[in-house]
Amino acid sequence: MSGRPRPPKLRSLFIASAQIVLSLFLIAPLNPALGQAEDVALYAAGEKIFKGNCGACHKPDKDLTGPALKGSRERWEGQGDIYAWIKNSQDYLKTGNAYAKGLFEQWNKSVMTPNALTNEEIDAVLYYVDNYAPPVPPPGTVAEGPAPGAPQEIDIWPWMLVLGLLFLVVTLSLSGVKRSLTDAVRESEGKAPKEHPGLVGSIREWAWNNKVFASIIGLLVTVWVVVALWDQAWVIGVYGGDEVANYRPEQPILFNHTLHAGKADKGNLAIDCQYCHSSAEKSKHAGIPSTNVCMNCHKAVAEGRSPEGTAEIQKIYAAAGWDPATLQFTGEEDPVEWVKVHNLPDHAFFSHAQHVAVGKLDCRECHGPIDEEMTVAEQWAPLTMGWCIQCHNEKEVNMAGNGYYDETMARLEASDLGHRELKEYLEDEKITVKELGGWECAKCHY
Amino acid sequence: MSSTKRYWKDLGELHQVEEVTQGRDREFPERTAMDEVLGDPSFNGAVTGRRDFLKFLGFGLGAATLAACETPVIKSIPYVNKPEEITPGVANWYASTYYDGEDVASILVKTREGRPIHISGNPRFGLNRDPKHDAGTINARINSSVLTLYDNERLKGPRAKDQDGAVAWADADAAIAQELEAIAKRGGRIVFLSNTVISPSARAVIEGFKQRYSAAGEEGAAVSAVQHVQYDTISYSGITNAHLKCFGQRVMPSYDLTKADMLVGVDCDLLGGWGSSNEHSWQYASRRKPENGPMNRHWQFETRMSITGANADKRIAVKPSEVGAVLIGIHDRVAGKTGVPSIGGGSSEDRVLAAADALMDARGRSLLLCGSNDEAFQVITAHINWMLGNYGSTIDMAGHSWCHQGDDQAMARLLADMEAGKVDALIMAGVNPAYSLPNAEAFKNALSKVSLSVSTSGYADETASLCNWICPTDHFLESWNDLMPKVGHYALVQPTIARLFDTRQWEESLMRWSGAEGSYLEMIQSTWRAALAERAEVGTSFDPVWNTALHNGVYAPFAPQPVELSFGGDIPAAGTAAKSASSGAGAWEVVLYTSEALGNGLHANNPWLQELPDPLTKITWDNYVCMSPADMEQMGLQLYLGQESPASLVKLSVDGREVVLPAVPAPGQKAGTVSVALGYGRGSNGERVGRAACLRDEDGNAMPVGANAYPFTHLTDRGLSYSVLNASLEPTGDTYPIAITQTHLTDMDRHSVVKETSLATWSKHDPKNTYNHPHELAVHEDVNEDGVIDARDKRSVREFDLWEEFPVEGVGHRWGLSIDLNSCTGCGACITACNSENNIPVVGKDEVRRSREMHWLRIDRYYSSDMTKERAKEEGLGKIDMYLKMEVPSEEPSVVFMPVMCQHCNHAPCETVCPVAATTHSNEGLNQMAYNRCIGTRYCANNCPYKVRRFNWFNYVTEQFGEVNPAWDDLGRMVLNPDVVVRSRGVIEKCSMCVQRIQDGKLQAKKAGTPVADGAIQTACSAACGTGAIIFGDLNDKNSLVRTQSTQERAYHMLEEVGVQPNVSYLVKVRNVEAQEEHHA
Repeated sequence: MSGRPRPPKLRSLFIASAQIVLSLFLIAPLNPALGQAEDVALYAAGEKIFKGNCGACHKPDKDLTGPALKGSRERWEGQGDIYAWIKNSQDYLKTGNAYAKGLFEQWNKSVMTPNALTNEEIDAVLYYVDNYAPPVPPPGTVAEGPAPGAPQEIDIWPWMLVLGLLFLVVTLSLSGVKRSLTDAVRESEGKAPKEHPGLVGSIREWAWNNKVFASIIGLLVTVWVVVALWDQAWVIGVYGGDEVANYRPEQPILFNHTLHAGKADKGNLAIDCQYCHSSAEKSKHAGIPSTNVCMNCHKAVAEGRSPEGTAEIQKIYAAAGWDPATLQFTGEEDPVEWVKVHNLPDHAFFSHAQHVAVGKLDCRECHGPIDEEMTVAEQWAPLTMGWCIQCHNEKEVNMAGNGYYDETMARLEASDLGHRELKEYLEDEKITVKELGGWECAKCHY
Repeated sequence: MSSTKRYWKDLGELHQVEEVTQGRDREFPERTAMDEVLGDPSFNGAVTGRRDFLKFLGFGLGAATLAACETPVIKSIPYVNKPEEITPGVANWYASTYYDGEDVASILVKTREGRPIHISGNPRFGLNRDPKHDAGTINARINSSVLTLYDNERLKGPRAKDQDGAVAWADADAAIAQELEAIAKRGGRIVFLSNTVISPSARAVIEGFKQRYSAAGEEGAAVSAVQHVQYDTISYSGITNAHLKCFGQRVMPSYDLTKADMLVGVDCDLLGGWGSSNEHSWQYASRRKPENGPMNRHWQFETRMSITGANADKRIAVKPSEVGAVLIGIHDRVAGKTGVPSIGGGSSEDRVLAAADALMDARGRSLLLCGSNDEAFQVITAHINWMLGNYGSTIDMAGHSWCHQGDDQAMARLLADMEAGKVDALIMAGVNPAYSLPNAEAFKNALSKVSLSVSTSGYADETASLCNWICPTDHFLESWNDLMPKVGHYALVQPTIARLFDTRQWEESLMRWSGAEGSYLEMIQSTWRAALAERAEVGTSFDPVWNTALHNGVYAPFAPQPVELSFGGDIPAAGTAAKSASSGAGAWEVVLYTSEALGNGLHANNPWLQELPDPLTKITWDNYVCMSPADMEQMGLQLYLGQESPASLVKLSVDGREVVLPAVPAPGQKAGTVSVALGYGRGSNGERVGRAACLRDEDGNAMPVGANAYPFTHLTDRGLSYSVLNASLEPTGDTYPIAITQTHLTDMDRHSVVKETSLATWSKHDPKNTYNHPHELAVHEDVNEDGVIDARDKRSVREFDLWEEFPVEGVGHRWGLSIDLNSCTGCGACITACNSENNIPVVGKDEVRRSREMHWLRIDRYYSSDMTKERAKEEGLGKIDMYLKMEVPSEEPSVVFMPVMCQHCNHAPCETVCPVAATTHSNEGLNQMAYNRCIGTRYCANNCPYKVRRFNWFNYVTEQFGEVNPAWDDLGRMVLNPDVVVRSRGVIEKCSMCVQRIQDGKLQAKKAGTPVADGAIQTACSAACGTGAIIFGDLNDKNSLVRTQSTQERAYHMLEEVGVQPNVSYLVKVRNVEAQEEHHA
């Protein structure tokens, strides 16, 4: 029986996933944009100029305020002077060029501002737009959960369970066979069939015959159960952190923190955390930004870096009541129901302002590498009281240049008792939060 | 010396009645529920075995654990468009003004995420603000008014009687306007009945309404069809009519108590409910601090013990029938000295003459106030003040009040016209005559004869429920308004929340019915524009004025011009009338008063106020008949009230009208008189006036709180009278349980709880040897170096200590309170402010009876007997006689009010006994309470010498308490302060010194990079105390006011000998009496 092969399905799954992983490794380092443009330098120069001068109204592959620029050189072929048209369209219109006039009429007579590009620069731009390929976000920044085709974490528990059940069935049937055989033997020997004690009875009988072994097993099982319960008890009501998997609830909009707040050199937008979470330095709550804050940028940024991203942006529009076609607010608002990630118990009063504005802590000290590794916001720190006060025990109070702490120090230095206290504080050469009362109940519980 | 004076909380304690005082030395005097359960004999027959019990226990535990395992998903929904001024988690404060016809005060409204949650006095602007210490006085009724905003029994939209329920505004407006039009066309009479309207814009709206329907009269019909009648629930017709007769202006003057060196009150509760009491309070208190300049002297002649009488230096109990004689006595004495004809027939009692002499000595710096609503009494009072030269100094007629314009006679004429069927339409605002008129039944009958009756009440109250239409007005926190409480003083009311229900303020309703365009806000602004245009010479443009006024809540553009006054009153006629008003006294005289908590009854639906103990009797959730203890003893009524000793019921009847109420002993009540509070007994016919005002039994029948005493008021031709000279009183033989707070949960019976002295003794500046002895213990060493070790060798208790010192002195902050017993008037505003700030549950009458009220702050009231050792010596009494006399409750005891909250002891006895360290000490001197650590052993409460810890016996946020506690349904919950945890069952709680405000104040200072400024942080109680009796601050800040006060001569610690070193200190009460008058026992 032991030579029985694994269920074939399981094996094929393993193979399939291994193939997927391997193929991803092979593809990932390749930049698709570079793969299509031959003159990389010209492409890059064109991209730069395009983003600086044209990007506000044009897109390479889609119409915006102005037409999509891809293929414009081709379209202008034989129609007129595209350079002059780009440099100053109003002047060029005066030449009476029919194609230019048609374009002007077609685009609602929007006037393109004149610019001082050289012909070479225009060439670069046109090269860029003609060879334009939309950037593919680096792996891990896709604003979605596991992307389709990505390696699925294979849950082997169901298979283990099936195996276990099989073993159980086999064991039981074997013991049944054994019992029938024994009965048959006894019957053939003319003895009365043996009294069968049943499953529980036989276990009891076995345990009675193997006292030491049974006690050891019993003890181990008991210890295991207690330890498991104890471990579980620690995480009751705890949302995330070290003990339990990081809490990462599904959000109504798949907002990508890394894309918005990540470093610019990695192709991210590097928006300051407090641009959106502006109440962090004013209030207890860092606050989830109101939809109008999203719209500050997303009025102009209607497209994501992927179709999925664009779809998510549409959800903001739905919430804010913004019609991207007419670029108008419709007034039909529908607030976004975010799921709160960082939950403190009601009896704990934590103040962001104290930690951000006064303590000058970096957001990441408590929220983790939210700008680098978390596409979807998750709870990084355990947020347990032990975690809070551990930091209070170690962290030095940021006193520099704050008149409030100058007064604290002046009072300490003014009295004998204060001197003694100060000396105690400074045994580790710093004044920690704990030493100024950061371990006291009513600092957070009231 | 003063510390040997005997104080007592009630008669049971004074007389050491065993069955009443038994158990008072225990923190939890009642038998515990467990004792009751286990003592139940039916349990002996129980069949549940031990094993079954363990199974149930195990299942229960398992089920509870499983239920706790689920971690909920919490949604967080941000604004779509966040208003710029709102930051979630940060409170916004708006200046506004409170006016309900009775009280007017400039207030600040605290809002969190758009919800008003707390009201405090405006510390920078307004009439009720003490400019010397930047605090605005508001009474408990005003700071509790935020709770009624969230009352679920408020009407949710307009209602029509004939359509049996809710209607749309448009339909109601159309129907009402059409009917008004028809009435006007046929020359019918339309009456707008309101309380005193002090809003210039509302007056303009009423004027517009009048014009709209007066002009419509057809030929032959009366042209003036619309009449505006003002009727105040508590009438001041007497004083306004007297000023009309004496000075030609029907107004109530303004008083400046800061200028009054000698103040005499005659039947006038000027600190409690009479006149502009919020203004009087700070003015009065500013002259009661001996360190801040000369103290005033205050004598009070009154029947019942009011808080004004309790604060007086000398209080003389008089019957209502003697008030006239007292006034005439003072008048004639002053007249005699100034060469003016006297009236004759007044009292010539020593103390009356002495009062007159004292007033005379302080001519131009004195003030006589009379609280009677009898015009004749007020004419005599005005003349006394006129003779004393007080008009122009302590009495201001130029800057007179615009409040209390109500006219009793006009109301009486209206009622007569209604009865005669001469009124076709009656529109009412701010009044509830079917409840508050003496002849309310007549009004109800007459109302049925009015074809169109419209009430704008926010509730379907006694009057509104009888009207054809109810067009509910907004809560004042949802309204715009402008007010003119005094000449030259404007105040603005601004909404702090959008309308919760489909209501509309009555001014706007009136505008709709008059066909006026625009909102009431636009109306106010146009009124102001027009007024400013008239004053164009000052060069004021609208926007800056409006914005500043809105920000400050107040606009005071000009000081009133002084007016030339000449006295034109008819004194002989007044004297005759006063004497006739005092004749015909029978066996019992009755005084009707408004209580500190409920006022005129408008606030009866507010559970915070219902549970606010009366300053003197300390009774909650009831009104009652206050009687002299001597009278009660004579009648064999229950004198000693407590949890197990209910009050006797008595039947009080006047001219066939009767009311049955419990009799309560009130030391200080004049023998032969009783007093009953108005404002109770709301909703007795099942009207929905708010759940707290009218509880309901299991069948839904109305069980009003208390009984209505308005039927005892009666109209004379000189005003509505609040006293009855001939009543009968008889015991019914039944008893009634009373919820009284002070006989339980107070301090240990020791000396050094309250200290008081006379101004003369204080002036010697030798506190240690006279009035403020430090507590010392005899030690076995030669301290005084006289060579002998004896009882004279003593050391201060502060030198003895079991524990190591907490490092709080001089290190960091050390928060503390200083409480001035001299400035505390006992009003109770601090208690309701604390309720509001700290989410303190209302527990209801039954639980108060079980001594389970949850107030973190209480005001202890102590009486002292007037027999003293000195007096005994003077009178030549023997020791036995003296002690016997000391036990007789006097008619005129003196009173001390003492606010008591957690004393935040540096050596706190509670901290050492907590088995789980749930209560600990902070390095800022606070005694901290971590609710989630508390397992409810109650050892701490047991060990607290001040008895300030409260145990949560129940989960008060549940339906079980919904009946008494409308603050805890979904709507009422909106009033909760999100910065303070709502405690659950089974934990101890107590005053935290508003640690949430301390934390916030420190954070603001750290963000600004400056030390915490003195006064920048206020606790709820200190902010609510406009008289400056409660001062909060940092004791380690050498320049702070609290430090100055707690180190001055008068400062002492309550129960200093216990050695717990509190961070709360008290200032000895100083009475402005001669040293020999000081009571010594």
